[in-house]
Amino acid sequence: MFIQQLVNGLTLGGVYALIAVGYTMVYGIIELINFAHGEIYMLGAFLAFTFVTMLNLPFPLAVLLSISCCALFGVILEFIAYRPLRKAPRLAALITAIGASLFLQNVALMIWGGRMKTYPKGTIPEIFKSALFYMGDVKVSLLQYDIISITIFLMFCLHILITQTKIGTAMRACAQDKTTASLMGINVNRVISFTFAVGSGLGAVAGIIVGVYYNAIFPMMGYTAGVKAFAAAVLGGIGNIPGAMFGGFVLGIAESYGAGYLSSGYRDGIAYAIMILVIIFRPSGILGRKTVVKV
Amino acid sequence: MYICILSMLYIVLALGLNIIPGFTGLLDLGFVGFYAIGAYTAGLLTLKCGAMGPPWDILSNYWVIIPLAALNGALWGILLGAPTLRLTGDYFAIVTFGFSELVVLVIVNEMWLTRGPMGLPGISSPGIDLTFLYPITRFFFENPIVYSFKGKVPFFYLILFMMIATIFIMNRLEDSRLGRAWFAIRDDEIAAECSGINIMRYKVIAFAISASFGAIGGSFFARWFGFISPVSFKFWESILILCMVVLGGMGSIPGVILGATVLVSLSELLRQVLEPWPDLVQARYALFGIILILMMRFLPAGLIPLSRVKRVMSTKDESILQTMNESFFSVSTDSKKLSKDR
Repeated sequence: MFIQQLVNGLTLGGVYALIAVGYTMVYGIIELINFAHGEIYMLGAFLAFTFVTMLNLPFPLAVLLSISCCALFGVILEFIAYRPLRKAPRLAALITAIGASLFLQNVALMIWGGRMKTYPKGTIPEIFKSALFYMGDVKVSLLQYDIISITIFLMFCLHILITQTKIGTAMRACAQDKTTASLMGINVNRVISFTFAVGSGLGAVAGIIVGVYYNAIFPMMGYTAGVKAFAAAVLGGIGNIPGAMFGGFVLGIAESYGAGYLSSGYRDGIAYAIMILVIIFRPSGILGRKTVVKV
Repeated sequence: MYICILSMLYIVLALGLNIIPGFTGLLDLGFVGFYAIGAYTAGLLTLKCGAMGPPWDILSNYWVIIPLAALNGALWGILLGAPTLRLTGDYFAIVTFGFSELVVLVIVNEMWLTRGPMGLPGISSPGIDLTFLYPITRFFFENPIVYSFKGKVPFFYLILFMMIATIFIMNRLEDSRLGRAWFAIRDDEIAAECSGINIMRYKVIAFAISASFGAIGGSFFARWFGFISPVSFKFWESILILCMVVLGGMGSIPGVILGATVLVSLSELLRQVLEPWPDLVQARYALFGIILILMMRFLPAGLIPLSRVKRVMSTKDESILQTMNESFFSVSTDSKKLSKDR
C-alpha cells in the first residue's frame, strides 16, 4: 500500500511537475500567473483526441501535432492577451489571464461538450496498460513507468535547454532583469514568446499523458490541474524551475497518500491546503530565494 | 421581478467585493467562499434551530440570522485575512481562491452537517412575527401580527432595503477615515505606512467588512431560494462578481451598481435567448471571459471610472511621472523599473 501509493504519486507528480514548469517559467520572466495555462493543458489532450478520432492520424503524429498547436496557441495567447498589458498594473494582467481561462474553458465546452471523452481503443497498445512489474505486492504498469521516465526525460531536456543553449541563457537573463537584457541585445519579446511556446508544449504533453493514463478527458480538467500545478510551483518557489519539478512530485505524492490514508473526498483539498500553508509561511517556496521589496 | 431581485442581490455582493479590489487594491478571488458561508449559516440555522424548540428557535428567525451570518462571514474573513493579507497581490489572490475551493470541498464532504452534494432543501421563507409585542398591539389589532413571506414581492422589498442600506454604508465608508486609509493603501502602500497608517489593521477590517457583506448576500439567497447546494458556489461565481466590479469601474460605487445590473440582465437575457440550444449556455461564460479581457485592454477603469482617484487601473501616471522627472531633473528615469519597485 505504502509503496504502491508512492508509485501512483510519482506518476501524478510527474504530470503536475510538467504543468508547473510552464507556470513557473512564465512567472519567472513576466511575473504573471498565467491562469490560462491549465486550459492549454486541457486543449493539448483534446487536440490529440480530435486528431486521432476525426483525422484518423496515428497516435504519435497526433501527439506531435497537438504539442505544436498548443505551443503556437500559447504564443498567440501571450500576443493577444498579455503583451498589450505588460506595462499595466499586475492586477489588470491577472484579471485578463482569468478572462482568457474562462473563455478557453467554455469554448472547449461548446466544441466538445461537457461529457467525458476517451481515447479510442487501440490508440495505445494494450500491453502498456497491463501490469508489468511486481515488486512484492506493488504493481507498476508499463504506462506508469513510461510516464515517469517521459517526464524525467523532458525535464532533463528542459534543464539542458535552459542552462546550455543560447536561448536558455537569454531566458535566464530576462528573468533577472528585462531592461538590462534588452540593452545587451536580447530580443525580449522573442524570448517571452519562446517561453510561452515551451511552457505550453510541456503542458500539452501533460494533458495527453493524463488522457492516456486515466483514459478520460473533459473540458473542466484544466481548472483543477492548473490550480494544483500552480500549488506545485508555489511549493517549490515560483520562478524557480527545479523547484517546480520538485514541488510537482511532492504534491503528487502528498495527494496520493492523502487520498489513500485520509479521505478521497479531500483529494483536491490537500493541494489547496498545502498551497495556502506554503504561501502563508514560506511565500518564496521551499527552494526559492527570498525576494526583497525595494522602496 | 426575478431579474430585479437577482440584480439587487448581485449589487449587494458586488459592492461588498468592491471594498477589496476597488478600495484597498487587492484581488480577492474567493468571495464566493463567504457567500457560501453566509448561505449555509442561514440554511443550517433555519433548519436545525427551527426544529429545536423554544429557547433555540429564535436563532431560526431571519432577523437574527442576518447579523449572525454577517458575524460569521467577518470571523472567517479575519481568520483568513490576518495571516494572508501581508502577501503581495498575486499570492493573496491565489490564497483566497484556495480558501473558496476549500469551503466548497468541506460543504461537499461533511455529509452529516450539510448533506453534501445533495444540498439543503426546504429552507423556509422568513417572516415577521410580532407576537411578543402582543400586549401593546392588541390595542390596535385583534390577533398577534404574524406575517410570512409568500411570493416574490416581500423578497423584493427586503433586498431593495438591503441594497439601499449597502449603498448608504458604502457611501459613508468611502468618505470616512477608514475609506481614506484604504484609498491611501491602494495608491501607495509604502507611503501610507510612512504616514502612520496601520496597514494590516485596515486591510483586515476591509476584508472582514467585505466578507460580511458576502455572507449577508448568501443568507438572503438561502432564504429566498429555499434550496442551497455546493453547485451554486463554484469559483466562476467569484469571477462573475469580479466581472461586475471590473466592468463598472473598480472602486466606483455607481459603476459597480451599473456593472452588476448590466451583467445580470445580460446573463439572463442570454440564458433565455440560448434556451433552445443547451450546449450554447456555455457561451455566456465565454462572453464574460471576453468582457474581462477587452475591459482590461481598452477600458481598464471601467464604465464609470472613479473620479477622485484615477490611479487604480490606469497606466498613464507612470508616463506622467516620467515626464515630470525628465522636465524637473532632466534625467530620464526608467519607468518600467519604477513601476516594478513600487
